[in-house]
Amino acid sequence: MTPVPDSIVFDNVSKFYGEVLGVNRVTLTIPPGITSLVGPNGSGKTTLMNLMTGLVQPSRGDIRIRGVKPSEPEKLFRFLGYATQFDSFPKGATGFGFVYGSLRLLGGGHADAEKLAWQAIEQVNLVEAAKRKIAGYSKGMRQRIRLAQAIAHDPQVLVLDEPLNGLDPLVRAETIAMFRMFANQGRHVIVSSHILHEVDMISDQVILLSNGYVVAEGQIRGVRSEIEEHPMQVLIRCSRPSEVARRFFEHEHVVEVKLHSDRGGLLVKTRDADRFYRLLNQVAMEGVDIDTVAPADDDVNSVYTYLIGAEEATK
Amino acid sequence: MNQLPWRLWAAQVAAVMRLELKKSFFARRGLWIYILAAMPVVLFTAHTISERADVEAVRARASITPQQREEIREGMSRDEVLAKLGKPFSSETRRRRNNVRETLWYSDGQAQFQVILRDDKVVQTGVNQGGSLGEDWQVFAAVYQYFFLRFAIFFGCVGVFMNLFRGEMLDKSLHFYLLAPIRREVLVVAKYLSGLVATTVIFTASVALQLTAVFALYDSNTVDQFLKAAGGWQQVWAYLGITPLACLGYGSVFLFAGLLFKNPLIPASLMLMWEGVNWFLPALLKKFSVIFYLQSLCPVPANPMGDIAAPLRLLASTAAPTPAPLAILGLLGLAAALLALSAMRARKLEINYSTE
Ligand SMILES: Nc1ncnc2c1ncn2[C@@H]1O[C@H](COP(=O)(O)OP(=O)(O)O)[C@@H](O)[C@H]1O
Ligand SMILES: [Mg+2]
Repeated sequence: MTPVPDSIVFDNVSKFYGEVLGVNRVTLTIPPGITSLVGPNGSGKTTLMNLMTGLVQPSRGDIRIRGVKPSEPEKLFRFLGYATQFDSFPKGATGFGFVYGSLRLLGGGHADAEKLAWQAIEQVNLVEAAKRKIAGYSKGMRQRIRLAQAIAHDPQVLVLDEPLNGLDPLVRAETIAMFRMFANQGRHVIVSSHILHEVDMISDQVILLSNGYVVAEGQIRGVRSEIEEHPMQVLIRCSRPSEVARRFFEHEHVVEVKLHSDRGGLLVKTRDADRFYRLLNQVAMEGVDIDTVAPADDDVNSVYTYLIGAEEATK
Repeated sequence: MNQLPWRLWAAQVAAVMRLELKKSFFARRGLWIYILAAMPVVLFTAHTISERADVEAVRARASITPQQREEIREGMSRDEVLAKLGKPFSSETRRRRNNVRETLWYSDGQAQFQVILRDDKVVQTGVNQGGSLGEDWQVFAAVYQYFFLRFAIFFGCVGVFMNLFRGEMLDKSLHFYLLAPIRREVLVVAKYLSGLVATTVIFTASVALQLTAVFALYDSNTVDQFLKAAGGWQQVWAYLGITPLACLGYGSVFLFAGLLFKNPLIPASLMLMWEGVNWFLPALLKKFSVIFYLQSLCPVPANPMGDIAAPLRLLASTAAPTPAPLAILGLLGLAAALLALSAMRARKLEINYSTE
């Protein structure tokens, strides 16, 4: 392995949880920029991120983050911030207290930590809620405060596990813009998602995972057009679903709309994810409260089967 | 040594302790630690209050002098007693098949005096002086060694130290520490110190309150004399000093156990058994326990030999207790070794919330 000082390098890395395979024989070199880890639930995205940050240790193989081993936290976390998927916080913490407390762990003084904490909180637009307890935050706010904690010490490498999950379309767009800005500054931004459409347009590189294996790696735009022909199902929980359904039906890329029997949401089948998400943004701005946007699961899996099948066919 | 970033480590330890102390003192999981610490305080306070009520009663009922007490002899008649001492403040009569027993109680202000009569003749007299500080001190020493050290501090440390890592694994918040630029060794030390501060404050305060309760029963002259003349101060300081050492020793054991075991009952009962058989272990093995050192430091030696059967006594090795400086060094060495093992273990620690 030739050392690549500015890259994240996995050299034949495997992780087994007892008998269970986490990831297997992963060899990757990730340059700076936005890299998305994409794969269905259980494909090994979190495992890969935990390996990168030393939360778990490889059963085999070697990992270097810009030349530093994950087993040296005292060096690694000076330049790396990780927002995990774990939706849990220290007991009783406020948003500010949480970010401030972890900044103090760097070993600096009160004033520095306070300044950096407010900067990060401002960046994720949580200033108003910062002094409230996290226990009372919405899912999107918890997602954002975790992001604030990860970026607060201005890291060169950002690792974010499903960072867009639970964000409403507006905040999602802002967050993506922030990732882009970081990437343009020469940083690593590693994000994961189980929805390819969510990240493929914003990523410089996509790594596709399936059952613990890296099945494709590189710029995904080529594969994209193939997926476009394959309809995607999205589940939306929102206010006024029948009105939203009517709006969606006006567009020809929408193949099918089904209202939920509890009148709290709907299922949309679309052929064009980009236009669908743009439309969803518009609807949100028109005042519809959108609670959840989630791909209907078996459909994601079918996209992957499709995608992975296509990948193998081109070999 | 100078290249090591001691200042950084100190700042990081302080930052961790700021977060940890709150948890150690106020964790809902830790409520029973306060109960354990409060139990002997309640016991001694209740004893003092009830004894003091007795003393007050004796004083209030004073009707005779100590000299008058001396004048009562066996064989005197009931009328003679009443003529000399007057009416008793209380009496009790029991009729038996062939005689009548009567007890008369008087008070001279300091002690109770009882006169027992059979068929109107004095058969016995007695003076009830109440407890003494010396006796109470023996009780305190026994409670300290058999309840406080072996039970209260022991389980208090199980609660605080075993949860330092394990508790955050259960709460799913341990990863925040592991994602900070802190060496795992520094994290282990910082968490240990937090636990040590919390347990030391709680249990030393308990000892101070227990001592206050014990002394509160006696007038300042008696207490002064005990503290100064009878070497009391030395013992008081010894108990106040052994308490933090106990937290330090048991703390290191259960910090390590918390990194090894998921279920706290397993290491707690193993340790309880190991310390329980400590008396019967060969001299070398004895040293791998906490109670051995603590026992050597206690001013009033415990004597379980008196309580156990002779055949078992033969099994116990009769190594002399270690002198105090050696006992302290031994305990510090044991704690340091366990801290080192804990640090090694912490380097291997993985976040594994799902299977907890
Ligand atoms: N702590 C663990 N113990 C046992 N198996 C685990 C653990 N963490 C993850 N796994 C398994 O490893 C595989 C990959 O999981 P994960 O990395 O969480 O995937 P993803 O983040 O893509 O959903 C899954 O099969 C999962 O069940
Ligand atoms: Mg995951």
